Amino acid sequence: MIPVAFDYARPRSLDEALGLLATHGEDAKVLAGGHSLIPAMKLRLAQPKVLIDIGGIGDLRLINQQDGKIAIGALTTHYEIESSDLLKQSCPLLPEVAGKIGDMQVRNKGTIGGSCVHADPAGDWPAAMLALDAEFEVVGRNGNRTIAAKDFFVGMLTSAIGADEILKVIRVPATAKSAAYVKFAQKASGFAIAGVAAIVDKQRKEVAVGVTGVAPAAYRAASVEASLRGSDLSSATIASAAEKAADGVDPLSDIHASAEFRAHLARVQAKHALELAASRG
Amino acid sequence: MKLAATYTFDSPPEKVFAALLDPAVLQKCIDGCEKMEKTGEDSYDAHLKVGIASLKGSYIGKIRIEDKKPPESFTLNVEGKGGPGWMKGKANIRILPKENGTELVCDSEGQVGGLIAAVGSRLVEAVGKKMSDEFFRKLGEHLKA
Amino acid sequence: MVMTKEEQVEAAQGYVGRAMKRVEDPRLIKGIATYVDDLKPPGLLYAEFVRSPHAHAKIASINVDNAKKLQGVVGVFTGVDLNDKVGCVPTAAPQPDGKSPLHYVLARERAYFLGHPVAVVVAETRAIARDALDLVEVDYDPLPAVTDPEKALEKGSPLTHPELGTNVAFRWSLPAGDVESAFKEADKVLKLRIVHPRLTPMAMEPRGCLASWHAGESSLTLWTSTQIPHLVRTLLPGMIHIPENKLRVVTPEVGGGFGSKLNLYAEEAVISHLAMRLNRPIKWIEGRRENAAVTIHGRDQIGDHEIAIKNDGTVLGIRTKIIADIGSYLQLLTAAIPTLTGLMICGCYKLKAAHTDVTGVHTNKMCTDAYRGAGRPEAAYIIERVMDFVASELGLDPVEVRLKNMPAATEFPFTTATGLLYDSGNYQDALKKAQELANWSSLLKERETARKEGRLFGIGLSTYVEICALGPSKIMAAGGWEWGCVRIEISGTVTVITGATPHGQGQETSFAQIAADRLGVPIEDVVVLRGDTASAHFGRDTYGSRGTALGGTAIVMSIDKIIEKAKTLAAALLKGNREQVEFERGKFFIKGQEKDYLGWGQLASEAYVAKNLPPGLEPGLEASSFFEPSNCTFPFGTHIVAAEVDRETGQVKIRKYVAVDDCGNQVNPLLVEGQVQGGITQSIGAALMERTVYDENGQLLTGEFMDYAIPRAEDSPEYVLGSTVTPSPSNPLGVKGVGEAGTIGATPAIANAVIDALSPLGVRHLDIPFTPEQVWRAIQKKGD
Repeated sequence: MIPVAFDYARPRSLDEALGLLATHGEDAKVLAGGHSLIPAMKLRLAQPKVLIDIGGIGDLRLINQQDGKIAIGALTTHYEIESSDLLKQSCPLLPEVAGKIGDMQVRNKGTIGGSCVHADPAGDWPAAMLALDAEFEVVGRNGNRTIAAKDFFVGMLTSAIGADEILKVIRVPATAKSAAYVKFAQKASGFAIAGVAAIVDKQRKEVAVGVTGVAPAAYRAASVEASLRGSDLSSATIASAAEKAADGVDPLSDIHASAEFRAHLARVQAKHALELAASRG
Repeated sequence: MKLAATYTFDSPPEKVFAALLDPAVLQKCIDGCEKMEKTGEDSYDAHLKVGIASLKGSYIGKIRIEDKKPPESFTLNVEGKGGPGWMKGKANIRILPKENGTELVCDSEGQVGGLIAAVGSRLVEAVGKKMSDEFFRKLGEHLKA
Repeated sequence: MVMTKEEQVEAAQGYVGRAMKRVEDPRLIKGIATYVDDLKPPGLLYAEFVRSPHAHAKIASINVDNAKKLQGVVGVFTGVDLNDKVGCVPTAAPQPDGKSPLHYVLARERAYFLGHPVAVVVAETRAIARDALDLVEVDYDPLPAVTDPEKALEKGSPLTHPELGTNVAFRWSLPAGDVESAFKEADKVLKLRIVHPRLTPMAMEPRGCLASWHAGESSLTLWTSTQIPHLVRTLLPGMIHIPENKLRVVTPEVGGGFGSKLNLYAEEAVISHLAMRLNRPIKWIEGRRENAAVTIHGRDQIGDHEIAIKNDGTVLGIRTKIIADIGSYLQLLTAAIPTLTGLMICGCYKLKAAHTDVTGVHTNKMCTDAYRGAGRPEAAYIIERVMDFVASELGLDPVEVRLKNMPAATEFPFTTATGLLYDSGNYQDALKKAQELANWSSLLKERETARKEGRLFGIGLSTYVEICALGPSKIMAAGGWEWGCVRIEISGTVTVITGATPHGQGQETSFAQIAADRLGVPIEDVVVLRGDTASAHFGRDTYGSRGTALGGTAIVMSIDKIIEKAKTLAAALLKGNREQVEFERGKFFIKGQEKDYLGWGQLASEAYVAKNLPPGLEPGLEASSFFEPSNCTFPFGTHIVAAEVDRETGQVKIRKYVAVDDCGNQVNPLLVEGQVQGGITQSIGAALMERTVYDENGQLLTGEFMDYAIPRAEDSPEYVLGSTVTPSPSNPLGVKGVGEAGTIGATPAIANAVIDALSPLGVRHLDIPFTPEQVWRAIQKKGD
């Protein structure tokens, strides 16, 4: 349970952090809340020579609303999101997801940015980020770029962020009022075996459904969304559409849930998430 | 862990077969392969740095090519050992002619042990598939060039 | 020491029977208690073990050169260095045809289980030791792993230990009564297969030890997180070749044992030996993943049962064939655990006959051994599942079937078919009380309503009995007595030293209650010591729920000896006849002259200053005693569970939990309640979420809390607890023991409730743990 020895740096600004990343390249790892990275280091699965602790960079910790979008700094903790009045008002899906992450201690330290960049296939955020079509603003030595959620979660434990880039801020629309996140948790770890974020747009008669925990990466349940386009969102329609929640993916399989059971839970959770979302807002 | 996958290439079977038995090609196509040392007829030590994202470990993989039946099939045997644990795999490769190219059928089974089995078991199958896909994608690129 | 008025009033009401907070807790809660890892003597070195990542492999070579070169590394040792200097890990329960594999402290030519220690590194800091582990190069030739105990018995199976020529570790049978005629008499013979999965104890504090050699005195002190310092002191000397009376074993605070620390482990011997060899103190602290892999596991029995019944629900007899997957070696009590299952197979019923065959099977896994209940949860589970199974097959009420087969309260002491003398009991009372607490008739109504609504709601019960306070020395491996010493200090305060080794059970408090009451002193004046073989000279330690029944009695015996001596001294000092001396609530006086009393303070002063002792009376007011019990004790009870199953997800929710347990007299009801709550919660783990999983290569897939789920606070429902009190005639305190009872009674009650919930779907039996997928598949299979 002891990591390989490492050097530690605590930059005071994003520029300083980026400079350190450029200097050390592959030898360095960015540390946010630490609740994914430090366990990996303790197991020696990750052995960074330099830890760049960005925890002191105040710019990265914020929640505000601008131009109909809500900006959440990458270092905002799950707890800060869970308890944010602004978010409860303008994007209640996010506090709902945050409250289901891990436990209180994890929520006090873990950050939305760190969690998204880590891209655990069973992490909770990706389902909501995909459903919201969130935008990830990423900073590198050569400037900023914005990555759409659908391009951000590339694969298992792999996000689209470059090795020399740092996630700065995540933007989500301030319009998703009929939304819900339901989660069937793995009993030991608390991670999602099937976590579904559903957003219902009652005006446009469209839904967005993000699923995590089921496949090697989180995904949008496109077949479910197609089935419900223009529909009346009755229980029967939802139930029938939810049957497609595992279409087109290769579900993961382990001792906690076989691929078959995971696919089944995806359907069950999709149904519940859609019903719950439809009943709100 | 068992995997079955099929890949297609535009090149003829003989070319695919030859490429697969060329250590230089193997090194190019195996992601994270830093060095391939020939240790005997049809056997090599591959120095690998594999994993996902930043969770990479260093392994030495002993590769043996067996049951060569050119240009149709062979078996690839790999035994890897490293800090995070060990792995052992066997892949039966069948190379079949197809109109305008080759169809390659890969039937593999593998086992892992040590730390990776203990903490990563849910990912092992997916990682295996990913590595397999990556390898054959790179092979395809190499063959086109 | 004169008591204040308040103290006198309090003492008059007595401490025994009072729900008092524990004296242990303030230091534990404040974090100022001392565990092994808190000890940091000067010159301390740290050890880490290189462990096999293969379940079965030849060790072709070990290269320690690079590890030795690392700065700060003091030594690296392998089996070649140690195995001829340190004895093999002992077992106290070898089998009569004793073909046990030799258990060397370090693997030498082969590794036999995942985590098998292959080498040990000793370094100046823990970080250096950990770094050095990565530099030890071990070349393994993997071999096929034996992981399925049933396949292991088939012809042609790979062998765990080739030199044994078989995977059978032992065979044990307990014939009891005339099974043949019981089965001939039967109206029906039912068959039931029950799998009891392997469990990982997961004590909050993993193992650890610190050994320190005093070269000048040629003596070794071993601090170890153990339940059995005395047994370690008896068994370790042979391994490390020092005389028993040159070894001191100290048990500091222990963060949970649950049986997993009822053992002498290879690491304790290795660390002790190396401390002697390097002449520096050495500490080893187990990591969690190590703990999950190389600390003993529990349970792991596959049972095929045949039950002979009459159509009216009478259970005539049971034939049981158990395959016990015991892992790669025999640790201290490995082979004994399944035999306890055979002994208790009749449960609390008047079965005429029983026949149990146990086959212990060697596999390439960690060894099994005692884990909370140690063989008795398996027995209670079998017989209580059988009772429900019989009821459902015959279409009878499971309560009625149990009542039909139970002995009446008047039939005690009652001898079971297996030859056990149940000391006292009233099973009907406990059952009745539990039904009242559970509001039984409304539960039945609730189930009826739920079923009409298509909900899967079930009720389950277990009327269990268990055997504990082990036990008479005739049936124990190395003495079943307990030792207790009581000393009145010169100042009149009291020191109690017990040979029991509580590690969370609370006897530091309850023994003070017993002593304070019997001596008539305020409880604040009593100190209870345990766990250090330098002060607790003798003991058989704590396991099998024996602490209070046996340790408490030894203390009572010693106190009575002191009172007798004090009376003699008081007679002399009060210038009266010995026969006229009375003792009441801490006061010695001549009958009729209460006002002229002597208290303990005065007597102690006289006893030690010794100027006025009557001729023939030795100075001092201290006594020690060995209590040899005449029988074990047999706590019992009824647990009732209502559970609901979610059809869609297979999730189980416990809607109600009622437990009525009878552990005889209760010294401290708060401790009893704590033990029952803890035991039940641990059973919820076993019933709903826990299972040690090895893959077909012997890789442990549940080596972390990320994969091995244990209950959290949110998983335990509001327990409704009650008790009946049927004192045990086997000890003067009338106590039975309660540490394991909750664990034994709970799992079958939960299982019966869930299977009852699924029964409308045609489910007749389902094996634990009832994980969501396990339950969901059962629902799918039966159709919907």
